[in-house]
Amino acid sequence: MSRHDGTPGLGGAVAAIGLNTFREAIRDRVLYLLLAFALVIILAARVLSLLTVGSEAKIIKDLGLSAIALFGVLTAVFVGVSLVFKEIERRTIYTLLAHPVPRWQFLAGKYLGVGGVLTIEVAVMSGTLALVLGWKGEAFGPLLPAVALIWVELLLVAAVALLFSTCTNPLLATLGSLAVYVAGHLVWSLELLQSRLVSGWQRAVCQALYWVLPNLELLDLKPEAVHGLPVSASEVGLAAAYGLAYAAALLLLAVVVFERREFAD
Amino acid sequence: MRRALALLLAGVLALGAGWIRGYAQATAPARQEARELLYLPNGRYLKLVSLGFAPLLADAIYLWAIQYYADYQRADRFRYVRHVFGDVIAELDPHYLDPYWLGALILTVEAGDLEGGLALLELGFERNPDAWILPYLAGWEAARFGALERAIAYFERAAAVPGAPSFVRRLPAGMYRRAGHLEEALRRWQALLYDPQSDEMTRAIAERQVRDLIVRLDLDRLREALARFEREQRRRPVALEELVRLGYLERIPRDPDGRPYRYDPHSGTVGTEASRILGER
Repeated sequence: MSRHDGTPGLGGAVAAIGLNTFREAIRDRVLYLLLAFALVIILAARVLSLLTVGSEAKIIKDLGLSAIALFGVLTAVFVGVSLVFKEIERRTIYTLLAHPVPRWQFLAGKYLGVGGVLTIEVAVMSGTLALVLGWKGEAFGPLLPAVALIWVELLLVAAVALLFSTCTNPLLATLGSLAVYVAGHLVWSLELLQSRLVSGWQRAVCQALYWVLPNLELLDLKPEAVHGLPVSASEVGLAAAYGLAYAAALLLLAVVVFERREFAD
Repeated sequence: MRRALALLLAGVLALGAGWIRGYAQATAPARQEARELLYLPNGRYLKLVSLGFAPLLADAIYLWAIQYYADYQRADRFRYVRHVFGDVIAELDPHYLDPYWLGALILTVEAGDLEGGLALLELGFERNPDAWILPYLAGWEAARFGALERAIAYFERAAAVPGAPSFVRRLPAGMYRRAGHLEEALRRWQALLYDPQSDEMTRAIAERQVRDLIVRLDLDRLREALARFEREQRRRPVALEELVRLGYLERIPRDPDGRPYRYDPHSGTVGTEASRILGER
């Protein structure tokens, strides 16, 4: 993939940085979360028979999907916010940028790495959930659209974290990312607030925020999947397209911010 | 050495904290029962702030509610059943069926509150029109309280749900019979017997019920005509044919096997030799 002048090709640089980010996240013991997930699900499956009346499988499905989403968001935020900051802190960014690697490739590689970690995490957690459900005689298949949209949501949250990572320190970036995640699930309140406001500019601000913040409720199909309610392929497709387009826009914004940033030694 | 001391100190502090906690709990003044339920907000509001985890929150409250209502020593334990199961859990996860029927059973079986239980099952059915189990349970609860007409109405609704099991379709006919509406019960069983959608078991049961109901209705008509005859003629008829001759019956029925009904002019009783008839003949 390298070019004749010795500089890595487009795919080569991105892949190399991505692989390195992935390895780093693994070294940071992120995958311990998977172990915690497996323990939570298996223990829940054992304990629920003592606590509940009715269908245990419904609670296992709710718990499993919620844990995939929650552990995924934690990974996306905590790995995402340190992506650029770590390189600056360790001063490895200077070595990297001294190479003929465009900054956008650096960010794309970082995102690819965190995306890989999230993909593996979602896949392993889903596999564990499928095994536990299989043990209870339940099918995992109907949960797939919900899992797919959780994965898209995680990619979006990782893009938010990466954007914050390019312009601030990890503490602020973590707070900012978590705030966007919470706000993304509460965008309905802006619509409500808008209908109660009289003033023109206040309404305009509300409306702008309503459209600028990601509507993460669109990516939540957990209740429908758990209850086996009909969900059309176009609904899932549109939600996924929305999430991925939003994440791509954030990545472009992150590139713009990162391109303008100056690194003083 | 220092590490061992630190560990020892940590252990002592932890034990001390545990002891204080136990002491505080044991000496705390008794609180009003159901206090923790008083401040449980409506599920509609909880859902808004659940950040996409509303079903999990519903599960958690449902599990807590099971433990709460399993404590038979609580005073005033039925006061908030409708709130917990209907306003909180059902609002958080409207398609979660277990809380509707469990809450309803707590109300009907334990609290003796049929109306409260039926209201919870109605709420569940309103939100889950394909859940035949809810009107089915409502029908049995109404029947248990002797409200047979309401039971019939609930079974009719359960049977009308597409995909309801075949045994549910038999329930209205059975309940019509139990409520004493034998002619309507016969019509229902006949409809099931000749319905091409009925399965083999339903047809076998329907056939037996139809035979039985025909005999019951015939015997009722004969007994009524005999009683009227005896009252007006001040004697018993010599044979059943006399009932037709004097206008008490249009015709003498025959049992499902095609045989005439047995009549004893001395005692004035009628009976049947028909096969496969349940109970008294």
